Amino acid sequence: MDSDSKQEGGVGSAVGAPPTQPMPVVHEQAPLVSVSGVTKTFGVVQALRGVDLDIHPGEVHGLIGANGAGKSTLIRVLAGVVSPDEGEVAVDGETTTISDPRDATDLGFQFLHQELNLVPKFDALHNMSLGLVGMGRLGLADRAATFRRARTVAEEVGLDFPLDQPVADLPVAQQWLVALGRSLMRRARLIAFDEPTASLSANETEKLFSIIARMKSDGIAVLYVSHRLEEIETLSDRVTAFRDGGVVARFRPHEITRNTLIEAITGADADATSIAPTVGAAEPGPVVLGARGLVSRPAVMGVSIDLHAGEVTGVAGLVGSGRTELARLLFGADRPEEGEVQLDGRRVRMRSPAEANRLGIGLVPEERRSQALFLDKDATFNVNIAAGHSLRVRSRGNLISMRRARAQARSTAERVDLRPPNVDTIVRKLSGGNQQKLALGRWLLGRRRVLILDEPTRGVDVGARAQIHRMLRALANEGMALLVISSDFEELLSCDRVLVMHLGRIVEELRGASITQPRMLRAAYGQHLPVVSSTATGVTQ
Amino acid sequence: MTTEMLPTPTLQPEPPSVEAPRKQGQLPARIASKYGTIIALIALILVFSVLKGNLFLTSGNLVDIASELSIGAIISCGLTVALIADEFDLSIGYVGSFAGVLVTGFMVKSGMPMGVAIIAALAACAAIGLINGLIITKAGVHSFVATLGTGTIVVGLNFLYNSGIAFSIGLPKAFFDLNLHKILGVPLPVYIAVVVVVILWIVVNRTLFGYYAQAIGQNAEAAHLVGVRVDRIRVIAMVVSSACAGIGGILLAAKLGSGQSNAADGYLLNGFAAAFLGSVALRNAEFHIVGTVIGVVTVGVAFNGLAIVGAPTFWQYVVQGGLLIAAVALSTIGRRILGRH
Repeated sequence: MDSDSKQEGGVGSAVGAPPTQPMPVVHEQAPLVSVSGVTKTFGVVQALRGVDLDIHPGEVHGLIGANGAGKSTLIRVLAGVVSPDEGEVAVDGETTTISDPRDATDLGFQFLHQELNLVPKFDALHNMSLGLVGMGRLGLADRAATFRRARTVAEEVGLDFPLDQPVADLPVAQQWLVALGRSLMRRARLIAFDEPTASLSANETEKLFSIIARMKSDGIAVLYVSHRLEEIETLSDRVTAFRDGGVVARFRPHEITRNTLIEAITGADADATSIAPTVGAAEPGPVVLGARGLVSRPAVMGVSIDLHAGEVTGVAGLVGSGRTELARLLFGADRPEEGEVQLDGRRVRMRSPAEANRLGIGLVPEERRSQALFLDKDATFNVNIAAGHSLRVRSRGNLISMRRARAQARSTAERVDLRPPNVDTIVRKLSGGNQQKLALGRWLLGRRRVLILDEPTRGVDVGARAQIHRMLRALANEGMALLVISSDFEELLSCDRVLVMHLGRIVEELRGASITQPRMLRAAYGQHLPVVSSTATGVTQ
Repeated sequence: MTTEMLPTPTLQPEPPSVEAPRKQGQLPARIASKYGTIIALIALILVFSVLKGNLFLTSGNLVDIASELSIGAIISCGLTVALIADEFDLSIGYVGSFAGVLVTGFMVKSGMPMGVAIIAALAACAAIGLINGLIITKAGVHSFVATLGTGTIVVGLNFLYNSGIAFSIGLPKAFFDLNLHKILGVPLPVYIAVVVVVILWIVVNRTLFGYYAQAIGQNAEAAHLVGVRVDRIRVIAMVVSSACAGIGGILLAAKLGSGQSNAADGYLLNGFAAAFLGSVALRNAEFHIVGTVIGVVTVGVAFNGLAIVGAPTFWQYVVQGGLLIAAVALSTIGRRILGRH
């Protein structure tokens, strides 16, 4: 199926289709944007590999794919945020270099991300007019004309709230509409939406859809990235599916169904290659850390979970599924609105990470540079910080012993295989893999019972990645309970069981041989079999 | 409010590769950024030694410099602790003045013995630091604003307590001795300063509080997520800063022989100048006690030398300001060349 659909994508492009095949009406015009052979590598990760894509005026082009499949990187290329290693982008048939976000704006490209970049203290009109107010007579700003236009656009978008209120005081969804209005002010030829409905209610989503319909009739090209396949299904004139940085399928309207989309995302043949990874999955120990009915709106909508000693539990989920928020709740970094956390079956009030640390729970956060490491300090400083109390020497009035700090750092460096094993190195100078080893290694000091890891191998080279996975298994074998959160579903294959989150809930629990990437992906897209109540399985043990 | 972001690997910022070709400029840059302040200090000493060595390099003058610097060293090093925890303290000057007024007032007005008066004054200063800390952590007011506010309130309290008239008559002789008493020819404040600075160095470098404070200064989010009780550490840092301002203020009152409402106000700018000068000594824009001492000495030597050379007073200020900007600029440029933001 893959090879067939790949062919169809070329329709209307320079290569052309055999004359016998009638061209679909939508693609009759020349493409507005034509991306060919675009490749981009970040360190060891190949984010885009030879991507070809045509975007036509007046079409809604859906982009689908799992986390890290390449959709967002492609959009960043068009936005001038990322410059491709190879390949080119042509606009109106002419090869163009988009080296700067300003270039993209000049081409009439507008982008709506989840971060809106509005000026919080400005009202809707000012935000929409920002940078557009022309110079009038005497060099004074000529606001009247711009504001008039902003009012018209506001009406089109359906901004039915006071336009003179600072946008910071507006709900997120309304802010989003303001940002949309701002894009429309700029006579856009292409508008790209990245997960637009994540912060919108049903009502606003409908509004968005009608706006998109209007854009289409105005000849604006729309790129629509979403994990919500029903939206893709409803809106798109064409859909391009990404996997591992490459285009794996292209669909025309009549081919777009939920199932074909999911198949493209997950890879139909992936089942065959799925490995049975769990070696010697021993009987898990007792429940160490548990949670009942955790709610933290809107990200976590009622999660119960049990982490067993000696078990590696994976959590799979797409962006916005509530994975990271769950980790933060379990670690006391955020407090749940409802529900409770239990340690050894007893309810604990986990009010802060300090308390979690004291109780023997560790967290390796998602963003190691901003959330985990002290980059301008050495490895010794970074490793001992979680176990500061172990450095105090009673006989010396509780002063800390630098010798002990270095000794502990050295033994940790050895355990995590820091390369080179020099504990005086400033952490900023280490590679991503070494940095991650330290972020993990600091939790090996002292008595830890639970370790929660959020994206443990993101931006880490292959070698370090394998080492980290081996380390996690070793820790489990020592009796630690581990929770591994990852958007890289491949790395979850080695977990003892995997919980899949979708819209703030655990919708699937997979064990042993049933842990496959397609099953994780299906569940992550909300296409799980109506089975497990994940609480039940945990509790029965 | 999701903390998850787009899952592409682009989130890993690419290492700064700009200016990589300027390799040969790296060594001087590294030296300038690390040793700029010290080079400036040595240069000052050399210049003054050459110009007026017979006056500058006498043991008498060096003792003078040391005693002149002792109060500034105490206040600046206290401030450094707050700065290490990434908090400003703009109240130190006013708190110092307040301490002088309180300690003299307690003795003159309330008839307290000197020891009790000192302890009571220091307790009051520590309490101000506690309030600063609580405003910053509990009310979430930025320390810059919070301490500006409390500092101003302290000025008011100061006038309330002494009605603007310095307490001077009726102070015990022992109080003046705090400043005048000499051991081995060196005045007592120098010893006190040495003891305070050594204790502060130990607090910063050999206690968990100091470890955590440094962590907060580096990356407060990471410190929080690793289990550091960030708020508590910040409050303590503010208390240390205020208490040191108090010690300095009391010594100043002993030196002046009276508690004047604005006696120590100037130590605010002095303290910041020294701490920022010191932050670029030996380290990359990182506050530390040894650096602050170097900063204090640099400013002090410049002042003293200019006075000995006979430069008009205004030059002292011009040089102090110039030194501060030059040292920080040197290190910033140095770091830019080294490719670290």
